Amino acid sequence: MSISDGERFLGICRFERPGDLCLLTSFFNGFWSKTLEEWVQQGAPKQILDSSFCNAYFQFVDIHAMRELKTGSYNDRIDIGGGVTYEHSVHLVVPPYESRIIGEDERTITLINKDGKKARVFKDDPERMPMFLDHPVKDRASWEEHKKRLDPNTPERYPSDWNAYVQEINSKSEPTMLLAGSLFGHLREWVGLENLLYMFYDDPSLIEDMMDQICYLETESLKRALKDIRVSCAMFWEDMAYKTGPLISPDMFRKFMMPRYRKITDVLHSNGIDVIFVDSDGDVNKLIPLWLECGVNGHCPLECAAGNDAVALRKKYGKDIILGGNIDKRELLKGKDAIREEVMSKLPFLLETGGYFPAVDHLVPPDVTFENYCYFINTMREVAGMEKLSFQ
Amino acid sequence: MGYLSVISQAVQNGDHNKVVQTVEESLRDGMPAIDVLEKGLVPGIQALGERFKGGEVFLPEVLISARAMNRGVEVLNPHLTGEETQKQGTVVLGTVEGDLHDIGKNLVKMMLECNRFHVVDMGIDVPPTSFADAAREHKADIVAVSSLLTVTMVNIPGVIDALEKSGLRGKVPVMVGGAPLTREFADSIGAEGFAEDCASAVDEAKRLMTH
Repeated sequence: MSISDGERFLGICRFERPGDLCLLTSFFNGFWSKTLEEWVQQGAPKQILDSSFCNAYFQFVDIHAMRELKTGSYNDRIDIGGGVTYEHSVHLVVPPYESRIIGEDERTITLINKDGKKARVFKDDPERMPMFLDHPVKDRASWEEHKKRLDPNTPERYPSDWNAYVQEINSKSEPTMLLAGSLFGHLREWVGLENLLYMFYDDPSLIEDMMDQICYLETESLKRALKDIRVSCAMFWEDMAYKTGPLISPDMFRKFMMPRYRKITDVLHSNGIDVIFVDSDGDVNKLIPLWLECGVNGHCPLECAAGNDAVALRKKYGKDIILGGNIDKRELLKGKDAIREEVMSKLPFLLETGGYFPAVDHLVPPDVTFENYCYFINTMREVAGMEKLSFQ
Repeated sequence: MGYLSVISQAVQNGDHNKVVQTVEESLRDGMPAIDVLEKGLVPGIQALGERFKGGEVFLPEVLISARAMNRGVEVLNPHLTGEETQKQGTVVLGTVEGDLHDIGKNLVKMMLECNRFHVVDMGIDVPPTSFADAAREHKADIVAVSSLLTVTMVNIPGVIDALEKSGLRGKVPVMVGGAPLTREFADSIGAEGFAEDCASAVDEAKRLMTH
């Protein structure tokens, strides 16, 4: 009897489907735009520039991240001239800030984006991470202004035809993901990383106020969504670690973030959501037990360069943890032998033990060749006992 | 507890008010400024660096400690002689061409300066020839290059080539660091040094000064 992708997703999360290779889209398997453009030059069909075709081409399973509900980051775009568009994330603010270009040199454009940040963007590669020169929240006064854009009751935060939206989402057979926001990541985007790190000592009550507002926004808006919408899982986004560890201490995480995390996960749990992911780059090993303690049981992308090891995590936490990512993108830069070794060192064990969604440990960069990536996909399919794809 | 211990502990606690107050008191009491610096402030930041490497403290603590130290140095500066303000060495530091990340570079700069290196901060997106030109202009002892992306780390060998072309190769060692970088990568491109984080960068810079 066939099951839907949504049921299959939950079955894998609940360790009921060992050996099932499921390559998810969204926060899991993705590419820089430049990567796909390069691959077309290398012989890939031009249609892979279209995300729906690309997902079908590599046989990814679509997981629908409900960005239409602005309960997390959502995407917006700015025309920077010359037919080039700068697409960026807007972090929870509704309405978004008014964007404007304020400067230009030979290679870059400086602008205020819809997140309220002053950013310097490369003209020839606007997707590359920009330099952020200024942020909208500097102190309590600027926070009080910014806070006006964080009201869970702002109508524009939700699709205008709620009933039609609910019907559309509930009719999907693929898994659905509710974005649960971010307690550190959004603050970092609003304040700037360096200023934020000082603020934990210089103005901790402002940190608490900002996190409380996020917590209020999330609990109210998630309750609204969960009342009507069939939700497979939730996803927090933090990006709060770097190569050698978390950006703040576990003690700070415990003090500032855990009480608020619990309030949000309580809402999710009380509505039957038992799969709650967090996406954080960097070395998250010191934070995983704290996330588990407050009900966040899924982790991605598990960057290899930062010392994350999905095999070790499975052995340590057993079925308490759902894993995603952890295929080392640096190995995909090398030849087939390196790719095979990377896959074989992880995938057989992780598929057998279940609760794992394979993916490269971040967006696939443009220096990975099309040939290498296709070989990577087929090596994984080989492990799972699936027929190889021809990639015509 | 004597002045020096109080100063060292206040640096480690990131208590810049305590640092300034105690530095001023110690000077009023006749303690030589160079002693306050070398036996109070510097040991404090060095101890903090060791605690950071040991995973005991994290980046917010590094930032407030470096700030506390710098406030203390500001009080000392008018009291230090020219010879006493001489630095350990000069480091030309920047993020490689094509890369706009600066937080890692800024932390390295902070820790190097706290450990009495003179840092010439080239900023971000720095062309290879700019590293070489700055190394020549400032008589650099070390060139330090940061990269956060796999697509920009490939530009680092260009810095080494630029130093070669300007006749500085072999005279000015290159140190590299950043998220996708490893010691193996550093060795493969001929870089003399590699650092995992901002505290290790200080150790590596000191090692390269004796290279």
